[in-house]
Amino acid sequence: MTPELFFQTVINATYAASYMALIAVGFVLIFGVMGVVNFAHGELYMAGAYTVVALYADQGFPFFLAVAAGLVFVGVLGLLMEFALFRPLRDNPLGGLIASIGFLLILQTIAVLGFGVRMENVPPSTQDKIVFLNGVVLTYQRLYVIVAAIGLLTALWLFLRKSKFGWALRACAQDREAAALQGMSINNTARLAMFIGAALAGVAGALTAPLVSPTPFMGHPVVVAAFIIIIVGGLGSLEGAVLVSILYAFVHTFVTTLYDGTLANIVGLLLMLAVLIVKPTGLFGAKERA
Amino acid sequence: MTSKFTISRRDFLSTTAAATVMAGVSMPKIAFGADDVVKIGFLAPLTGEVAAWGKPGLDGCQIWADWVNADGGVKIGDKAYKVEFVPYDDEYDPSKARTGAVKLIKEVGVKFVMMLGGDPWPGAAPIAEKEQMLFSTLLPSDLSPETTLLVAPCEVHPIYNVTGVEWLAEKKPELKTAVICAQDDSLGKPSVATYLAAFEAAGIEVLGKPIFFDPATTDFAPIMSKMLALKPDIVCLDTCYADYVHPLVEQAFQQGFKGQMISCTADFYQKMVEKTSKEFMEGFVFQFPDFDDPALNAEHVNFRKPNDFYAEFVKRFGAGEWSAVSWEYASIMDLWADAAGRAGTTEPVKVLEAMQVGGTGKQAFGEADWWGKELFGIDNALVGLWPVVKITDGKARIQEFKSIPAWWDKHKDLLIKHMTALDQMYFQRG
Repeated sequence: MTPELFFQTVINATYAASYMALIAVGFVLIFGVMGVVNFAHGELYMAGAYTVVALYADQGFPFFLAVAAGLVFVGVLGLLMEFALFRPLRDNPLGGLIASIGFLLILQTIAVLGFGVRMENVPPSTQDKIVFLNGVVLTYQRLYVIVAAIGLLTALWLFLRKSKFGWALRACAQDREAAALQGMSINNTARLAMFIGAALAGVAGALTAPLVSPTPFMGHPVVVAAFIIIIVGGLGSLEGAVLVSILYAFVHTFVTTLYDGTLANIVGLLLMLAVLIVKPTGLFGAKERA
Repeated sequence: MTSKFTISRRDFLSTTAAATVMAGVSMPKIAFGADDVVKIGFLAPLTGEVAAWGKPGLDGCQIWADWVNADGGVKIGDKAYKVEFVPYDDEYDPSKARTGAVKLIKEVGVKFVMMLGGDPWPGAAPIAEKEQMLFSTLLPSDLSPETTLLVAPCEVHPIYNVTGVEWLAEKKPELKTAVICAQDDSLGKPSVATYLAAFEAAGIEVLGKPIFFDPATTDFAPIMSKMLALKPDIVCLDTCYADYVHPLVEQAFQQGFKGQMISCTADFYQKMVEKTSKEFMEGFVFQFPDFDDPALNAEHVNFRKPNDFYAEFVKRFGAGEWSAVSWEYASIMDLWADAAGRAGTTEPVKVLEAMQVGGTGKQAFGEADWWGKELFGIDNALVGLWPVVKITDGKARIQEFKSIPAWWDKHKDLLIKHMTALDQMYFQRG
């Protein structure tokens, strides 16, 4: 591997780690607080991308306005899911999981009916790029994703550590009943978790829309990768989701570049298998989820 | 004196209605009885990643049917038949193709089934055999000695890709090296073998091994980084689906590639121009023309009114919806209608015999031969001229029609060698 290819691969992996971390952290947050595996998380990512298709590519609104709209719109979709699907099934995790599969299909169908089955063309908001020595390139479009991921995840970390609402979320994630006995509203924390978790997936989809050519089925491979990340990182561990997103993205990107993508997928699955054997709770998971 | 003949309002309305109905049914050209309809199955991906090679073809067929039916239908024996297409979405899935084949043949009663082919064909093959139904594919790599009722009468994918490389080598002899990538599936592999043979025949060295990527790939940056690290003169995108060609081209642009690009298809290329630039896309070579191309008015072209067909397609569906296959299924229907007319029946075996009489046929781009024994084990592919298309100032234009048989006569050993190396010969496929 030449130094140029090495540094280009590092940049490619950093981008991949950034959007995967946004998706995986949202996934973990929803699971941690609600106790539900949200199979529709990939479709929330897709919904964010289609918000940009509708507002930026079709209607000509500024790109960052469309991204902000994607964040809010998908966050509200998350609230809808919490209210209509997960709250009635709160004591039935399997029911929540099945309901999320149903919602996944509904979102895909809406996208097909609204936009068609084919990929959408989202022009880049800028063609500017940073060219490092020896032709290593980082486009601004990718840089936006990296910067947004760092900014949003830092904000989320501060929110969870420093604010009262954040403490409530963490308390509910640790023990929902004990938190309720302390006077915390389970409904409010669930709403907050769903909004933040969905919005993170939405903003990932919105920011990457010009880079991936959105289709109604784009959520599937993303959610598979997110599953691997949260299982390796530990169910319910936000730190684990971030660190394993970075680890997974670097391993996957380097193996893809050095060998091929199929082998990279196999390596990802083997990594998950190894962690499940050696430490079934994941690298950063607690022994027993409250 | 006043007339005693009066007509009530009710009589007037009922008489007028009856007269209108009578006038309607007596229209000679565009009216058909319930039995005078021949149904054609359209079994192709209409959703999913491969939909770009199904849905636009169905749209083209609707135009074909409207035109043919307006002209009185297809004359078979002493009757004219209206043509009706019955679509079934196989989602590029063999099991769904099997279900679709059963439904179209047994329930709908179609007389001919058109498929994209590729991965779904093995699902439909046993049904074709059992029901003795004539099928067509766009991918002759589906052909084998056992597929006696399967024809590839329009495109000889991927063999025509040799014409693009041959043309490029003639026009730009300074290009000496190439890299190739393709999705790892039944469309990608035979196409890679073909490009390897074509590059070898043209004296162009392929750097590294061809990259076969997982069809679930969403981020193409690592793949393009790997290819560009070899510093090739040519980046070859093989027969990647449109969903892959676009991000790959965009990555090549973003990572600063300045060389030549070649691809089997460049569906919706206007969008690629938008995402990159006219300058970057200048000279991009592929194999599928827009049908508003004046070169298609050449005498040897057999497709009826190609420029009008394109204009009608654009009017109905938009220019951005035109894809490599928009005209292909319609051109197969030209061949089928002609053969059924000459056979005087829609009976599949007899239509096939009429289609192949004399060992030649009218392929869309000219007279062609039924060919394929050495490569597919059966002469069921119609092969002749194929266009080489180049993007110039943001618009695709035919540069030349080149002969596939002429290339084959000179370099067939190379193609067989590379097909064999990738297990793509008919006797190697599972």
